[in-house]
Amino acid sequence: MEFLNTFIKAAFVENLVLAYFLGMCSYLAVSKSVSTAFGLGLAVIFVLGITMPINWLINEYLLSESGLLGMDLTFLRFILFIAVIASMVQLVEMVVEKYSPSLYSALGIFLPLITVNCAILGGSLFMVSREYNFSNALAFGLGGGFGWFLAIIAIAAIREKIRYSNVPPALRGLGMAFILTGLMGIAFMSLMGIDPAALTAGK
Amino acid sequence: MAETAVKEKESVFQFGNKERKLLSDPLNDNNPITVQVLGICSALAVTSLVYPSLVMAIAVIFVTAFSSLFTSLLRNYIPKQVRMIVQLVIIATLVTVVELALKYLNYPVYKQLSVYIGLIITNCIVMGRLEAFSMANTPWRSFLDGVGNGLGYGIILVMVGVVREIFGKGSLFAGSPIELKIIGPNADYLINTVDSAMFAWYANNNLMVLPASAMFIIGIMIWIQRSYNTKLVDVS
Amino acid sequence: MESTRYVVIFILILTGAVAVGLTGMREATKSQAALNEDIFNKRAILTAVEDYLPDGQKVSQLTDDQIVEIFSGMEQPVVNMQGEILDGVQAEDIDMAKERKKAEEDRRLPVYVYETGGQKFYILSVRGNGLWDEIWGSVALKSDLSTVAGATFDHKGETPGLGAEIKDNPSFAEQFQGKEIYDDGEYVSIKVRKGGAKDPNHEVDGISGATVTADGVSEMLYRGLKYYEPYLEKIKQQSLLLNQ
Repeated sequence: MEFLNTFIKAAFVENLVLAYFLGMCSYLAVSKSVSTAFGLGLAVIFVLGITMPINWLINEYLLSESGLLGMDLTFLRFILFIAVIASMVQLVEMVVEKYSPSLYSALGIFLPLITVNCAILGGSLFMVSREYNFSNALAFGLGGGFGWFLAIIAIAAIREKIRYSNVPPALRGLGMAFILTGLMGIAFMSLMGIDPAALTAGK
Repeated sequence: MAETAVKEKESVFQFGNKERKLLSDPLNDNNPITVQVLGICSALAVTSLVYPSLVMAIAVIFVTAFSSLFTSLLRNYIPKQVRMIVQLVIIATLVTVVELALKYLNYPVYKQLSVYIGLIITNCIVMGRLEAFSMANTPWRSFLDGVGNGLGYGIILVMVGVVREIFGKGSLFAGSPIELKIIGPNADYLINTVDSAMFAWYANNNLMVLPASAMFIIGIMIWIQRSYNTKLVDVS
Repeated sequence: MESTRYVVIFILILTGAVAVGLTGMREATKSQAALNEDIFNKRAILTAVEDYLPDGQKVSQLTDDQIVEIFSGMEQPVVNMQGEILDGVQAEDIDMAKERKKAEEDRRLPVYVYETGGQKFYILSVRGNGLWDEIWGSVALKSDLSTVAGATFDHKGETPGLGAEIKDNPSFAEQFQGKEIYDDGEYVSIKVRKGGAKDPNHEVDGISGATVTADGVSEMLYRGLKYYEPYLEKIKQQSLLLNQ
């Protein structure tokens, strides 16, 4: 139950893009059409879902003072987290290429982009500052990825439609994407304060 | 390799037109935020006040400049297979240096920036410049390119911060030793909205404090920039 | 493409150099960083009695040394949930975040007794949940152990402009001055009321758009200050005995 709560919270209430504005670079760059946005969104779910639990284990058993080495190595957190993310992305790329060429051709070009997607590292850093346990970390990874996926599909769909509108030339494309994201962010604020735990408890 | 080494010697620390362009180009024509669309995440979260924006800008300039320098120095030795990881390790190291330095020098600002310092690592400007420029250019020119891009980023960050703080809080540089209180409801402010007949209607705009307002401000900046600089207009 | 051996050696040298460099830097900055953190927290606590600092100074005008001096001169008892003072531990050694994870009856509560010009202030620490994450604060009580001399709040991740106003907008905390946590000897705490305070002694105005955070503050104060009740009762009895 707690797993589901964290998932829903991460996907909707605390949406990484629309509440925290993380992972904006690839979000803005790859949201010109729904089909490419779909591929990138899937890849983000995938990588977030894998790296969060691994980074959790690293943080808990390698870096913390009560871990295996018995030393407080938390200052090395950035380096280890990003190394895990980069190597996971490469590993995923190789595995997918070998076993599912069709998925690879759909995701392939996006995978390297994901290493520098702030949402991935941001997810891991939030996990540490919020002191999640293992299953919560996994739920936050999957939920956060799903929320990111939803957000990029939504903006891509809007951008496809807005091409037919009469936007001032200088605002076309990028400028409009910024303003749209701001509006979506404000719209998402209305989900703020929803507590799935309270809903399921029947309050 | 021998050839590049010779060329390098000739151009070390030169500062001609080309080098000047490396610094000035990212400020307008090739601005990291408004044109290349890189590194937006941190631009939004930390810009509600000018002072943290300024610290963030300096941190990013430091990281872009030195990661470009180090990557360029190592560019002939970095194995191609693990190129990305090596670049990320260099960046992450510099960011950790920034974090430790901030904790040492200015703890309140460190608290305010919190996870966003770590996110400099995935600030695409840094990685983007390493891939696009430093891997193929001499250390000095890479360093300048890094400084230029960091500056271009920092200028936008501080501009957004100024707009958000003036309209959202009625102050400038809050939290720093040179805090300026401009407009607000008590005698500490330059314009006291309680006493003043002209400004009695004034209230801070709470929208400006929300992260979403940074999106609007950057969107409008892009609009203004492209109105003057028509070659940047998106034709698609 | 380079050989695997070259790649491995390159990576090993790089990580080795990085690890040594960073460890060295951290060791060099560690003690100062810990001191900075300590002073940051102490300044936050002292903000609760900002109006009563020597020479009418503000917390931000005090130097780091002055902060350390004020705290070393303070009586810093730590009490348990029964109001008994624990030996061998100082209030500043208590980490409220860790205490909050313990079972309720095992928690230890820090008290900072600030004395100036013959007046005594009891600074109590409270911690609870806001909208996104934890919120916490310090409340200074005057020597009648009911009237609030000042309060200060902080948070981990409330929404800027809404919930975060409990910290960013000084006028929110200022409202608490002069409120009372007891009503005719009965514990009532102080409530943050949406739409404006009705009871002038026990209520303050809420923040528009931040109902959840405001309710969190009310709840935190009610529960957090109640923890101190046994201790407050004991002080009251002691002072009664002294007066007789």
